[in-house]
Parts: sequence; C-alpha cells; structure tokens
Amino acid sequence: MNKLGNIKSCTLGELMIYQIALSIEDGILAFHGFGSPLVQLALHLAKRNHAPNLVLVAGATYGINPTPAFLTPTTNDFAMNRDAECHLSIEELFDLAASGRLGRMFLSGLQIDCWGNMNVTRLGNDERLTLKLPGGGGGCNLSSDADHVTIWTAAHRTHADNLGRRRYRLVNRCDFVTSVGHRTADGLPRASMPYRGGGPDSIVTDLGIFNFNHEGHAQLRYLYPDTSIELVAESTEFEFPVADDLSTAALPEPALIELIRRLDPLKIHERELSQDDRGRTFELDGV
Amino acid sequence: MYTQTDKRCTLTELVAHIQSGDCLAIGGGLSWREPMAALRELIRQGIKDLKLIGSAHGIDVDMLCGAGNVAVSAESYVGFEQDFGMALNYRRACESGTVKVEDNCCYTLVQQLRAAIQGLPFMPIRSVQGTDFLKLHPEFKTMTCPFTGEQLVLVPALKPDVALIHAHYADEHGNLHIEGPPVADILFAKAAKKVIATVEALIPHQELANKGVTIPYFYVTALCEVPYGTHPTSCYPRYAYDREHTKLYYQAAKNGADNFRDNYLNPFVYGCKDHASYLNLIGGQTKLIRLEQWKDGIDQWMQLYE
Repeated sequence: MNKLGNIKSCTLGELMIYQIALSIEDGILAFHGFGSPLVQLALHLAKRNHAPNLVLVAGATYGINPTPAFLTPTTNDFAMNRDAECHLSIEELFDLAASGRLGRMFLSGLQIDCWGNMNVTRLGNDERLTLKLPGGGGGCNLSSDADHVTIWTAAHRTHADNLGRRRYRLVNRCDFVTSVGHRTADGLPRASMPYRGGGPDSIVTDLGIFNFNHEGHAQLRYLYPDTSIELVAESTEFEFPVADDLSTAALPEPALIELIRRLDPLKIHERELSQDDRGRTFELDGV
Repeated sequence: MYTQTDKRCTLTELVAHIQSGDCLAIGGGLSWREPMAALRELIRQGIKDLKLIGSAHGIDVDMLCGAGNVAVSAESYVGFEQDFGMALNYRRACESGTVKVEDNCCYTLVQQLRAAIQGLPFMPIRSVQGTDFLKLHPEFKTMTCPFTGEQLVLVPALKPDVALIHAHYADEHGNLHIEGPPVADILFAKAAKKVIATVEALIPHQELANKGVTIPYFYVTALCEVPYGTHPTSCYPRYAYDREHTKLYYQAAKNGADNFRDNYLNPFVYGCKDHASYLNLIGGQTKLIRLEQWKDGIDQWMQLYE
C-alpha cells in the first residue's frame, strides 16, 4: 500500500492509456494490432480492471489473453505472447471481424479527418508521393468490419514553423484514405456503404478526447487538466463542435497507474509521445 | 507436387530458385522469424525486380529495398514499429520511384491467397471500398451480390512465384515444423508455385512428426539447414531478437543510401562469403549465446531491449 500511497500524479501516457481502456467493453473480442504500446497497455489494463471477460487478441502473434513478461518495442515477440491461452491464425482473426465478431479495434493515422477517415499510407497526391508511410496493416479491412473503433494519436499538438505553417495531424482532408470513418471524403454517409461495423466512437489524443455527433463529425468531449478548447482548436485543421457536456477527462486511480508501470517497466509507451509530452503530469484528486 | 525424397541443397542453390522479376512472399513478420540469411544470399546473387507481397514486415523488406532488388512493394506495413520507426531504405526507394507502391491490406491479401489455394479466380470482400486502395489496385472489381444485393469487392487470386520461409525444423523430405505464430507462412506455402525454406535444424522424420507438421513436404521445393538463419530477427524459442544489431543497421540506413551500402551491405552482406562468416562478424558465439539467454529470466530478457 505504501507504493500506492506514493503515487500522487499520473503522466500523459498513463492518462491516455486509461482513457483508451475505458472505451473497451467487458466480454467482447478486441485486438490491438502492432506498433501501438498505448493501446496494448490499455487492453491489459481493461482486462485486469473493468473488463475481466475481454477476449484479448494480441497483435502480430494473435495470442489470446497473454500475460506479457514486459512490454517490448516489437509486437511479434514471445515476451508479449507469454502464457497466451490459445492462438488464432491471421485468417481467423480477420474472419472473426468480417463475420461481425470483433467488438473493438484501435486505429491511428498520420492524418485523421473530421469523419474519422485516416491515412497511414502516403503523403502527396496521386502524381507525386512526398512521404511514404509504413502502411496500414489490416486497418483498412478492420475499419469496415469491427463493431467499434477507438482512434488514438499522441501527436495532435502542432507547432507553427517560422512562416506560421503547421503540419496538422487532425486534417481537413487525408491525402490517401487508408481506413474509413463515418463519411467518405466526398461526404457520402457510412450507412450508404456496405460496411459491417459502426465506425469510430472516439479519438483519444494528447490534447483531449473527441466523440462523434449524429452527423458523424468529431466533437470535443473531454479536455485534460492542462488543455483548453483554444489549444485544441489551434492544433486542429478542421473546425469542430464542442459537446454540451464538455468536461475534464477522469484520471486513473493509483492502483491502475501502478499496474501500468508494472506492465511497462521499459517505458516503451513513452516512445509514442513527444519529448515535451513525456514531462506532462497531472495531480491526482485528493492527494 | 514436390515429391523427391531428399530436398536438401546449399543456400546458394536454394536461393537460385528465385528468378529476377518474381513475385516473392517472404515469411515471418516484423521482428519475428524473417529468413534473413536467405535474403542476404539473394542480394549477393543480384536477383532483381522482385515484387514483394506480405502483411507486416520490417528489416527484411527494407534491406532488399536498400540493396536495389525490389521493383514493386505490395506489403501492408513496412517499418520498425515503436522500436526505430520508419523503414528508411524502403521510404527512399518508394519516394524516389525505384519501388512502385502497391500497398495492400492484411485481409485483402489473405483473401487473394485463399483464392489461389482454392483454385478460384477471386474472393469477395466487404471492406476496401471507400478507401484509396481501389486506386492502387485497378485489378480489384466491385459487384452486387446476387444473393444479398450488397456491393462487394472482388480481389483476384494471388499466386506468388516463390514463398521463402524460415522454419524451426524440417526432415529431409521437406516437412516443416514452425513453433509460435506462423503469420502468413502457411497461406504463402499453399498458394505459391514454389516453397523454399531455411531451417534451424534438420531432424529425423519421426522426431518431426512428433512435434507436428506445419507445412507438408509436397508443397516444399527445396530446403537448407541454416542455424540462426533469421538473425537479427528472432527465432524463439531458440534465440531472441538482436536489437543491438538492428540499431546498427538502422543507424547505417539513417545516414543515407551510400552510407547504408558502405557500412552495412558491404561488410554484412557482400563481404560475407557465407552465413558462417556473417555469424562470426556479428559477434560469433558470444553474441549468439546472449540471444539465447532470454530464457534464463526476465532480467536477462529485458536487457536485450535496453
């Protein structure tokens, strides 16, 4: 208990992990993909907290309900897959999604538009590719097939260059649509597409959390203790509505913070955060 | 059907089954069980203009791009995750136009391989529509399902010319045993025209049968025993991922294409006449023993990532 008593604040990473975890329902099958330590930790946190019946499918290994020895920076690693209860094959995981049995998927993008469409394929236009991104893995397929999608990015904040220009993460338009949100880039609603799943229901960022309104447009739902609507707007290329019940996101309890630290002794999740963001901490209530 | 009783050959002979211009499916995934020794031999043999297909890959595809062996990439992901980030040789090759970008997605690829395995011209898929992958793949068609009226995407059968796989064990006949995640290897093996495999160890058939046959012998064209053949990627449970070497690789790639050639390809690929000299160069027994010590405890395991 002494250990917990010493925890008087949480980091930005821990707040984001907790908030991603809160999007995970008990009893569903969820998959964390690869290259996503914040999400990997969120799934393990959810499973050990409010979602004990979660069918946790580890990315890359397709192991079910593993107990990682520690978080590694590479996802297809035996350390991540330790004591998995059983295993899927690559086709089985995607079949489960295609047949409507993947409850939630987690996706990110180097560009994210107001409908939740995302780009992880390339920057530039069809004629000229200016930056080749790593690619989307199975995100394209799962954005259509998963029941629900949690979007996350730890790089929402932009900084203006000396000419005042910004390279936004939350953009007006994706240069390439790798995964689909609530409307096509041309505004066609998701309901007119033959997708199985319901699309994204939140965007958890380093500045706050959006949900999606009835039009399928991102709206600001939660701020963090050190952010404001103006700060979020400054780093967001598209204009966004603000929810009537805008509030400050809840911080994790000390026991959950301690669990995150135990799961990730090498602090791999901090690699998703900018250098400045690694220093952001939030005082817990009542300490 | 590959029915010869003894599939064994040298690494040079094995890799010579790949022709310039082939569609090549590389087994493994990310930092796990990439057939790296065979890929280094492929570079030494100067096999060019390959079309690569796969799900999530890293150093394997990046190294071939850096050495100029690739014409088209139809991978779903090529990178070093949160470990080192973007795959720099791959990026340079795509951005300069020397590698044509035909990115694909995991399930789309799975369905294309399944069509090939089942002898069908295509498989339907519900996803992909509404994305820009349709622009990258004009060969994908859409149709209205005659049963449900839904609009579906049809993706054509994909039959790689060669699947290159590293397995843990094989018998002489070519039965393969893979421990841990097979990733897409089984699909590749069943869909491809030829399967060539490197293996950690050749063992008698009965011993292999007791472990379980992951890929039956008649899919397998040829094989070669290459211990530590996936270094610097992992081949658990035998050895872990060599992060230290991968960092050295990444630094060389970071300092430009010429630097990568001078400081990585020249010493570790062209300068090594065979796999034994490569193993010696990366640190020999001392290094290999350290990579095997992951099983001695979590502290030893974690040290490999520091």
